[in-house]
Amino acid sequence: MTVATETMVRMGELAASRSAGDTLVAIGLGSCIGLALVDRARCVAGLAHVMLPESSGAPDASARCKFADIAVPALIDKVVGLGAAPSKLEAVLVGGARMFAFGGSSLDIGARNEEATLAQLADRRIKVVASATAGTKGRTVRVHVDGCRVVSKEAGGVEELLFGEAA
Amino acid sequence: MKIYSELELDALRELANIGSGTAATALSQMLARTIDVSVPTALALPLNEAVETVGDAELVVTGVVLPVFGDLDGLTVLLFEEHDANRVCELLGVEPESEFAVSALAEIGNILCSSYLGAIVSMTGLRIEPGPPQTACDMLGAIVESVLAIGAQSNDVALLLDSDIRIEGEESSFTFMLVPSTAGVAELLARLGLGA
Repeated sequence: MTVATETMVRMGELAASRSAGDTLVAIGLGSCIGLALVDRARCVAGLAHVMLPESSGAPDASARCKFADIAVPALIDKVVGLGAAPSKLEAVLVGGARMFAFGGSSLDIGARNEEATLAQLADRRIKVVASATAGTKGRTVRVHVDGCRVVSKEAGGVEELLFGEAA
Repeated sequence: MKIYSELELDALRELANIGSGTAATALSQMLARTIDVSVPTALALPLNEAVETVGDAELVVTGVVLPVFGDLDGLTVLLFEEHDANRVCELLGVEPESEFAVSALAEIGNILCSSYLGAIVSMTGLRIEPGPPQTACDMLGAIVESVLAIGAQSNDVALLLDSDIRIEGEESSFTFMLVPSTAGVAELLARLGLGA
């Protein structure tokens, strides 16, 4: 028997699991993107907490996965390593808000994060099945491995089921 | 990963100390209350640890964020928990949770930030000035990570100069932080005679 755990996925981190009791969580996503990748048939789920769209040059090993162009392939490798089939992966995006409107649109990091993440997924023909992105509010995303359920919640709001069968 | 030495962090801490002391004096005149400032912390943190160091990521707070332009670029951030935000508004004679409450807090941000930066200007001779404040009432994590994404950009280290500002005689305090860019930190250290 395995013990159910809730794994915090902090800025620049990623995690994956195939234990039905596990939950992967990214709390308080602002302009960051929480990218969930699931293979429902094989019950494997992963979550990445992406902070910036693109790595420039050679980023330090310590925080490489804060960039969409590095985090997306790394998360795919991780879920495939746990038995997910690359062709069966489905993606859910949460976050990418614009909480502060400094500078011009080039500083809308939330929108650029979403765009960069979508481009990486499109390159690998992974379908985006649901999303809760943009706007001005922060969100928390929870990925329940059981049923590959993905839920999102805004500050003071109620949990919204984005994907998967209601428990 | 950029590593700051203890000496460099000490110098930055001292700078934050003088900045927040000056800011507290300005706030004290505005609120007609004695203001205490904690000894600031200067923390260089890996990004994944930055949010939890500031506070509980899921806690709903009011954030006032002001950009800093000039020789030192970065962001200053004030974080108020709900009851502290309400108390500060009351001291200013503004109805808490009214439409004016948020602009009152933004004004506190203006005053703290400009006096904090003013002190740094007199110490270092850098030309810096704050931009207009923006506010958000949201999860602490969402505010802090958005600030780091803008201010820290491609840094792997979040440098936080963090002061706790306490209003004497009130159970009320809030957080005031300067998040300089990496280039900004290098410039600051150079002016303090600690250039690489």
